Amino acid sequence: MALLELSGLTKRFGAFTALDDITLLIERGEVHCLLGENGAGKSTLCNLVFGVHRPDAGTMTLGGEPFDPRGPAEALQRGVVMVHQHFSLVPNMTVAENLMLGRASAVLKPQDIIVRMEQLAAEYGLEIDPEARIDELSVGERQRVEIIKCLLGDPQLLVLDEPTAVLQPDEIDALLAICRQVALRGKSVILVTHKLGEISRVADRTTVLRQGRIIATVAMEGADIRSLVRSMVGRDVQSAGSVLAAAVDIEGKTPAKSSSDVGPTSPGEAVLQISDLVYRDPHGVPRLDGLSLTVGTGEIVGIAGVEGNGQTELGLILAGLAAPSAGAIVVGGTQVTGCTPQEITDAGVGIVPEDRHAVACIKELSVAENLYLGAIGKFSRFGLLDKSARRKAAETMMRDFDVRASSPDVSMASLSGGNQQKAVLARELSLDPLVFLLAAQPTRGLDVGAIEAVYNRIRAARDDGLGVLLISSELEELMAVSDRIAVIYRGKLVGELAAGSFSREAIGAMMSGHAHV
Amino acid sequence: MVMKNPKLAQGTRRKLVPLQVLVPIVSTVIALGIGLLIIAATGASVVEAIEAFWDGMAGSDFNIGASINRAISLALVGLGFIFASRANLTNVGGEGQIAMGGMFATAAALHGAGGLPLGLAFIVPLAVGTVAGAVWGGLAGFLKAARGTNEVISTLLLSFIALPLVYWSVESFHLLRKPISDVSSLPESAEIPDSTKLPLLFPDNGSPLHIGLLIAAIAVVVVWLVLKHSTLGLRLRAVGLNATASRRAGMRTSFYVILAMTVSGGLGGLGGAIMILGQQLYLTSDFSSGYGFDGLVVGLLSRGSAVGVVIGALLFGFLRSGSINMEISAHVPSAVVLICQGLIVIVIAGSAILTNRKVTR
Repeated sequence: MALLELSGLTKRFGAFTALDDITLLIERGEVHCLLGENGAGKSTLCNLVFGVHRPDAGTMTLGGEPFDPRGPAEALQRGVVMVHQHFSLVPNMTVAENLMLGRASAVLKPQDIIVRMEQLAAEYGLEIDPEARIDELSVGERQRVEIIKCLLGDPQLLVLDEPTAVLQPDEIDALLAICRQVALRGKSVILVTHKLGEISRVADRTTVLRQGRIIATVAMEGADIRSLVRSMVGRDVQSAGSVLAAAVDIEGKTPAKSSSDVGPTSPGEAVLQISDLVYRDPHGVPRLDGLSLTVGTGEIVGIAGVEGNGQTELGLILAGLAAPSAGAIVVGGTQVTGCTPQEITDAGVGIVPEDRHAVACIKELSVAENLYLGAIGKFSRFGLLDKSARRKAAETMMRDFDVRASSPDVSMASLSGGNQQKAVLARELSLDPLVFLLAAQPTRGLDVGAIEAVYNRIRAARDDGLGVLLISSELEELMAVSDRIAVIYRGKLVGELAAGSFSREAIGAMMSGHAHV
Repeated sequence: MVMKNPKLAQGTRRKLVPLQVLVPIVSTVIALGIGLLIIAATGASVVEAIEAFWDGMAGSDFNIGASINRAISLALVGLGFIFASRANLTNVGGEGQIAMGGMFATAAALHGAGGLPLGLAFIVPLAVGTVAGAVWGGLAGFLKAARGTNEVISTLLLSFIALPLVYWSVESFHLLRKPISDVSSLPESAEIPDSTKLPLLFPDNGSPLHIGLLIAAIAVVVVWLVLKHSTLGLRLRAVGLNATASRRAGMRTSFYVILAMTVSGGLGGLGGAIMILGQQLYLTSDFSSGYGFDGLVVGLLSRGSAVGVVIGALLFGFLRSGSINMEISAHVPSAVVLICQGLIVIVIAGSAILTNRKVTR
């Protein structure tokens, strides 16, 4: 008998139907993946099961009994636990203290928690120091604390809402292994993701959601990944070669590069020259330690590396948001070392920053305002805004870059992540002059359709003669898009591979500091 | 999700407009009703109190003019508040900015401006007062931009510096204190020269209403234009919402923080100068007497709208006039009106939570 049975579940928010007549069985001991683009209803489904929202129609049963949680507390009581995208941990308390929070028992016994943590470490390999403070932990470790919190009470069903979006490759591997362990013990796991590679590695069955409806539920043994992609986005993905290769990553195979993806054979003159760049953080720790790099016109140079090896700092310095301690940056013959963001923009540099919400856009402002954030004075007379001219220009730009929004006047926050990123790309690629583009983690958190659009834009920019620097933590993405990959390790470039000689193993070894080429 | 459907959003907005007008009116009525209960509880005659209150607010041309004059300074402080809050800055230092504006305007009027021709006699002190307030506000902006000092704390503490400065200036014969002529001479400045007093709008009917009204009206229109329709307003908003993204987009965020606080303080300083040059005519140590904090409340209640500031300032200006008269002629403590003001604020703020919740649903 199935553990969880959903029949005819419907959920509306105002006039918007988030879930429409969902009928689904979750078996005991299975890892069930929910796949779909942003806004397909995956998170809503999880929230219904966890009691955050209540369905407008339909019923649920859990272990054969009717299940209608009026809130998360009731869901927890019935053995349903959930790890949200945003963690709910108290940063300045220890792991053990966080685990004791929310326990119903009046007398807190730290030693009980520690004993239970040892059991979980033995059972699932969930090892963590109970005395460590949360704010000293990495994102992956914090997530581990959340999972331990869930497993403390020996639940029946574990719901994970996009758990891998924030993780590094090795942490993803560990998480997927934990999911499998949980399922092996007869519990069920619901895993929300839009990374197909993960599905093929861990899922027993996958349900594809689109616009609040179930498109298909597939047993993963012998399933065709391509048809899954098609049902997910509702159409064949154009130039499927590299996108699929990047997104699918079945069993870690090296994606093949089709000939059309390869740029001009010989890049032109240098457009970005970084020499001996050093950056020390406020504590004096060198984050960049003598990094030198040249990007030519018409080439895409990828930077591979485990996160935290200086990529973020490199991105901030190129954007003008941090000043290097030493070294020089020259763009198209202009010195931009330590210059202001405006001076860097004037030198012809477009920036797609790593943190879209904190740096690239202001979500409370409208799409049009965001598209012209760096050129507010462009549509004005005597200091007063000419909003209709700006709206017109914004509409054109949105059409050119396929930014989907009902109007340029809606807030940036109402757009999906993919459309937000397309808007950022539209703004940065419309700069004049423009000779160089930095794209830092440009597809993070985006769905397959939007990822494809971002890749196409970056390639088109390269074909127009721009130099592009692509910083990414997704190895498949780098191999699919770059003409050349440099590997960063502890603030230095430790090796470089040209197109055609990319190999996961070689790059992986360099990323972990084990090998030099 | 709701945001994605423009029709729906419009629908809720249309319903809400009357609600946003209705709520302040209802809350004012409720608060005044409670005020009447308190008056009855003190044993005073309610009828007498209401008569005195009405008389003080609007019983004569003189009283109406005085009420509006009070509203002018409140409106300027309120405008300053919403200007700073556009950049997500909270200027709670209106009291100190009024004090600095009034003190420097008095100094300018007493020492030099009196003999200037062509209306400059009062324009120069107004300008000097504005600059003094602007410096006081700008100082908080500079601290914020340079050291990250929270502007709520710095503006408040700057007020605690400004008020004793005024006290010092009226206590010290080297500064603004007038010479002692007899035993009843209080620590206050001499009266400003006639030429520096603000010209009256209706000199014939005895109304004290002065051209500060025109100045405030211009300020309302300018602030409204700047905040709603100018590139500067959009930049202030961007910097306030997300400083990093604004910096990346090429804006000098420190400049806009300092500018917002300078303009905000300048409006407060102008309000203080108008109080001296228009109504009070000489400086006393406590001349600002809560106008800065009332103006702050006016700014808060307006929710960032210049029109809201005008309405709030008029309400508080008339209430203040009425309460003064009620105390004098009906012997009801004016504290009752302060209680009513507090109640209005609590009811409006409380209902704001309700209306906001309706918007987000």
